[in-house]
Amino acid sequence: MKDVVRMGGILGIVTIIAAGVLGAVANVTKPRIEEQHRLALERALLAALPTADPRAIVPVKDENGNILYYKGYADPDTTKLVGYAFLAIGKGYSSDIQTMVGVDTTGKIIGIKILSELETPGLGAKIEEIRHGEKRPWFQAQFIGKTKKDLLVDKDGGPIVSVTGATISSRAVTNSIRKGLERLEKLIGGFKQPAQQPAA
Amino acid sequence: MSVVGEFTKGIYKENPVFKQALGLCPTLAVSNSVQNAVGMGVAMTFVLVMSNIIVSLIRGFVPKKIRIPIYIVVIATFVTIVDLSMAGFAPALHKALGIFVPLIVVNCIILGRAEAFAGRNTVVRSLMDGLGMGLGFTLALLVLATFRETLGNGTFYGLPVHWKGFEPMLIMILPPGAFLTIGLVLGTMNWWDRRRA
Repeated sequence: MKDVVRMGGILGIVTIIAAGVLGAVANVTKPRIEEQHRLALERALLAALPTADPRAIVPVKDENGNILYYKGYADPDTTKLVGYAFLAIGKGYSSDIQTMVGVDTTGKIIGIKILSELETPGLGAKIEEIRHGEKRPWFQAQFIGKTKKDLLVDKDGGPIVSVTGATISSRAVTNSIRKGLERLEKLIGGFKQPAQQPAA
Repeated sequence: MSVVGEFTKGIYKENPVFKQALGLCPTLAVSNSVQNAVGMGVAMTFVLVMSNIIVSLIRGFVPKKIRIPIYIVVIATFVTIVDLSMAGFAPALHKALGIFVPLIVVNCIILGRAEAFAGRNTVVRSLMDGLGMGLGFTLALLVLATFRETLGNGTFYGLPVHWKGFEPMLIMILPPGAFLTIGLVLGTMNWWDRRRA
């Protein structure tokens, strides 16, 4: 019996010291971790809305405070609306793929950035692959300029070229963006008609 | 054994992966790219060295009956420190290594060194042992990752390495490639050791 108390006491002291050390470390790293999350989101928003002023991307929330989408303006006074951004989440092969997507006021995609994915390295993860000598991931670059009707992968009869051997990941991104776009269209009450080319 | 010997034994003679065949799960999983191998190696070495030092320091008053739970608490503390620091200061690496950082806690190399070495040796020797074993683990990961990344993805540390007509062998960066590579490397090492003996 005496033994149990002594052993428990020693183990207790060790765990208390460990908890104290971890508390201190967590205190130091917590603001840094939050800062990293904020930076990642900011970078994704800037990539999604390249024409917007970085200080003029404002979130639009529902009554519970959840962010529905973002509005991007060209000026800090938020008068000239250039487009919207939203987070599309699709179920990939081994993870939820989160993509930040930006569209102009007519519903045409102007920028996309994959925020997080944990797909198979070498297969699905190639949705983030940057080919040597290029600046942007090739899979994501092909979404630029597309509208709702073009958002289908080649296997489904659309123009989006999927990553070889990773149709599931490619399809997850493409379909989540299409669904997000349809949802956004409802929320804002329809996109503007694209400007007509002036008759020659 | 000399203090220097405690360091060098982990590199080849008692290499934790190739000779002791410990910690194979993270070894197979994380050796798909050289970058992951380096990150995992550094994280492992830090935890190994720190837990070896602490275990050696407290070996005088740790009762034999509860030494394992105490070692695990010490190891888990350092792993959490690594995990939090990586998330805060190296988010890209943290994302790439995923679940394998928290899983260092149950890596048998670390508990193995605490139990077999640090619990019965001086602080200096335990430090050298941790460093050597950490380096040995890192080198083992690097050897596997070099084969797997160059053959399976045509890159080394993300830089392209390929020749005319090269087609990446995808299987090399997938799990089967890990088994194939470690089998061939172990076979070669055994053949070499036997030939020299």
